[in-house]
Formats: sequence, structure tokens, C-alpha cells
Amino acid sequence: MATNAMDRRRINGPQRTVEPIYSKDTDPFASGRKDSRSLDQVRPIYMKTGPLSTQANDLSASSAAAASGSAFYEQGNIRVSCAVYGPRQGRKSNTRMGSFDCDFRYAPFSCSWKKRSHVRGADEKEISLMLEHAIAPAIRLDAYPKACIDAFVTVIESDGKSATIAAAINCISAALVDAGIEMYDSVAACSMGLWESQWVADCSQAEENVSSSTMIIAYMPSADEVTYMLQHGKTSPDQTDQAVQTCINMCTRVYAVLCRGLQASISE
Amino acid sequence: MASTTGQLTFAIETFKRIHPVEFQRRFLSQQTRHDGRAFDEFRNTQVVKGTISTAHGSSTVRIGNTTMVCGIKAEVSEPDVSRPNEGFLTTNIDLSPMCSASYRPGAPSEEAQVCSEHLFRLFSGCVDLAALCIEKGQAVWALAADVVCLKSDGNIMDAAIIALLAALEDVQLPQASLDSVTGVVSADKTMAKRLQLQRRLFPASFSLVDDAYLVADADDAEERLATGSLLVVLDGNGKLANVWKRGSFIGRDAIARCVEEAQARRNAVAKALK
Repeated sequence: MATNAMDRRRINGPQRTVEPIYSKDTDPFASGRKDSRSLDQVRPIYMKTGPLSTQANDLSASSAAAASGSAFYEQGNIRVSCAVYGPRQGRKSNTRMGSFDCDFRYAPFSCSWKKRSHVRGADEKEISLMLEHAIAPAIRLDAYPKACIDAFVTVIESDGKSATIAAAINCISAALVDAGIEMYDSVAACSMGLWESQWVADCSQAEENVSSSTMIIAYMPSADEVTYMLQHGKTSPDQTDQAVQTCINMCTRVYAVLCRGLQASISE
Repeated sequence: MASTTGQLTFAIETFKRIHPVEFQRRFLSQQTRHDGRAFDEFRNTQVVKGTISTAHGSSTVRIGNTTMVCGIKAEVSEPDVSRPNEGFLTTNIDLSPMCSASYRPGAPSEEAQVCSEHLFRLFSGCVDLAALCIEKGQAVWALAADVVCLKSDGNIMDAAIIALLAALEDVQLPQASLDSVTGVVSADKTMAKRLQLQRRLFPASFSLVDDAYLVADADDAEERLATGSLLVVLDGNGKLANVWKRGSFIGRDAIARCVEEAQARRNAVAKALK
């Protein structure tokens, strides 16, 4: 895509901008992890369901344009917001199965490197597809013939690309529950990075920059099924094996946090 | 029809859904609003600055349920040839389908384009662009301000203006210098300087609902029935910076009253901004 094409629907700045050269960051693993986490520790998670959707009994809120379900998810510095619409009329009629579509966006200011373009990049398309593949197996799409379920995800702040994708999966899972979509199980996701032959859980951006390989796993703990797995970079088969095992264990822990959050939202 | 004859009774939620105009009229004719506010009452407004660590300046603003996040990224570019010592400020607003079902995915809607343009013109006098100069004629800061709507429940323009103002006040520009030999701009984040604004802006929006009732800070349900709207923007000294009236007829004395109410609103917003 031509990056210098003028976008007449937006206010344009100068055609070419660069990031200044900032004074170098120090080695993120110089003396343990910066936030003093252990190697298999996921950053603290905060989750809230229903910030964008309104409850049926809440008269004061205007409901006409509200989402069916929504969630706000924080994991350390990562902040993701998701709205789910549906089940609503699908674009294709006469389909036996419902469809699940996902639209993933980074806010222009959400990344620690250069400002993101307003035009949707190929990586956002790719991640949208990843999210669809990770979540769709958990939804009972056969229960929604001719319907579609749309999830819109916006990353407000990212800190580690793989970790952000995992956070988006967790956020959508929570929003789907909030929307009351029939599912086999909630999907919990977790990411890892390989740093000097050690797997490090839930890498921040600085840690991911120096890791030689990354792994993302989305997992349904009650069904004991992996819905999505992606590994980038160089590892030995043994290391990959080990990573899958550790990731699954961490997903189970993340799942417990998700469930607690969802339970809290019901009892409120 | 059924609701006016009194023959049928509905649950109040059903009534609101199937006959929104009549539902709102019942309240407005009693000089009150469906959420219990008075006509001139604004919703609770909260501002938090510095919420996003990946941006150079940021803020989160909530007006009732409407939530906006503004992030400002600072990057380096060459200045315009005709203005060699002036930097850039661009403002865009993103109304994605996430914040409301009324927005479609894809390119910005007409509403978003109009809002972006209006924000840009409002704020073009706020930042001293000469203060963004790094090296005259060679390198300047380009500030890209993006307002992302997380939840749209009416009055997005007020929320966007407050969010943008708060984020601009939060901007910390690193100390930057141009190496004249290599042409590389290096920056030191530990030596950051706060951006000084030339003026602050305080918005107040009013909507003309059902051609008869002028209400402050309309929410989504009221905006859907609005036939006209009025945006009053005051600067820090209470002088008029901008008046933007759209749609149906609003009397001159009503506009004057709105400007007066905007003055009171200015104090409330200034307090929220601290």
C-alpha cells in the first residue's frame, strides 16, 4: 500500500515523519525482569464486562445503539476494548451455520514505536483472522443459522505484540459471555517468548524485542482443546513441546481469572 | 397509537423502544428528562490525564456514559517551506463501530470527517507551532492527536474537545537536537518539557429536542430526536471562541441563555481538568 497517498477523509500532517533516535534502552533482562515478575508469571489482569453494552433493566441508559456484549481488558500496560454485536442478520442467507467476524484495530497511538497509520494495515487484517480462528471453534455456530456475530476490538495501548493478541482473545471471550452467546467453553490465551533457551511468559515489548521466538496459544480448559497456536522464530521441537505445555498451564490460570471476573459481573 | 388511547399498557422498556418520541415527550413536557436531569444540567464529567504510556500525551474523558480516549504521538518531520520554523498539529477523531452500532466499519463517516475538521480548526490557535521547532527549516515536531471514541452516548463533540485539551496539556516533548552532519534528530526522554498552550477551550453542547425543548448535554436517545444543536466553545477567559449552530430554529435569547450556561459549564470542566 502506498503510504504517501493523500487521505482526503482525514486531517493530514506532513507526508513523511520519522521517530527521533531515542537514547538506548537497557537490556530488559539485565537484573531479572523489570517488573520483578518470575519467568512464568503473567502480568496482573483487570477485566470488566459490559462497559459498552447496557443491561436490559437499566432504563436511564440509551439502548438503541448499544452493543450486545462488551468487555474492557487490561493486562499490565495492555488495554483492549471489545464490543460484540449479534447474533444479528447475516450477510449471507441460507447458511446452516452462523458466522463469526472479527475486526481488530490498533489505536494510532497504541504502539511504542512509530504512530500507526489510520489506514488498516496488513498486520491488523492478519490479527483479525487469527482472532476469528481462535474464537470461532468455541462458539456454537450451529445454534445461529443465517446469523452473524461481529466482534470489534480496539487496542488502546499495547505492550508486546504477542501478548496483545492474547489479551484481545481473552477480551473477546469475556465480551461474548456478556452478550450471552452460546459457547462450548471460554477461550483463554497466553503468550511466551524464548530468551536464551528459557521460555518467558507474557513478554512486554522490550522483552519481545530481544526474544528469539514467540508462541501464542488459545485454549479451552474445560474441553481441554487448543483452538489456536502460533509459533514464530527458531526453536527445537523439544522446546516447542515444552512451550505448549507451559502455555496451556498458564492459559488455565488466566481462565480462572476470567471466570472470577465473569462471576463478579453477574453477582453485581 | 396504543399508548395514547390508554387501552393497552406496556412495560416501560417496551414503550421506550417502540415509541421513543412519545416516551421522551412525556418527560420533556413535565420539564424533566428521562434520566432525571434538569434541562440545563450536564452529566458528570471525569478527566484523567496521562493514561497511555505509548503516547507522548494522553487523556481519558467520560461524560456520563460517553467515553473518549485521546493520544498524541510526537514525531519529527521537515517543516513546510513557507513556514520554516513551525511544527504541525493534526487532529482526527475515530468513531468506530465499537462505540456505537450507528457507525460502520471502514473509512471515516461524514460525521467523523466533520468532527475532525472542526476540532482541527478549533485547536489550530491553541498550540504555539513555533514552539515545536527543533531546527529552523530542517526539523520540527509533528504532533498527531487522535481521539478514539470507546463509547458513544451522545455529545461526542464536547467529550472530544475536552479529551484533546487534556491530552495537549499532558504532552511532554523530549529534548531534541539535530546533528547537522548526519541529519539525524536524537531525543532524550529524561529531559522532557511540557507543552505550553496559548489558550484553553471549554465546550458546552445543547440540543433542540422535538423542535421545542432546548436541553444541555443530550445523550444518545435524546440526540436521535434532536432537530437542531448548538455548540458553544469558550476560552479560558470566558470569551466566545466558537459557536456552531446546526439544524432547526433556535431563538436569539435562547442562544444567549446557552452562552450563559456555557460559562457555568466552563467552571465545572476547568475543575475536572484541574
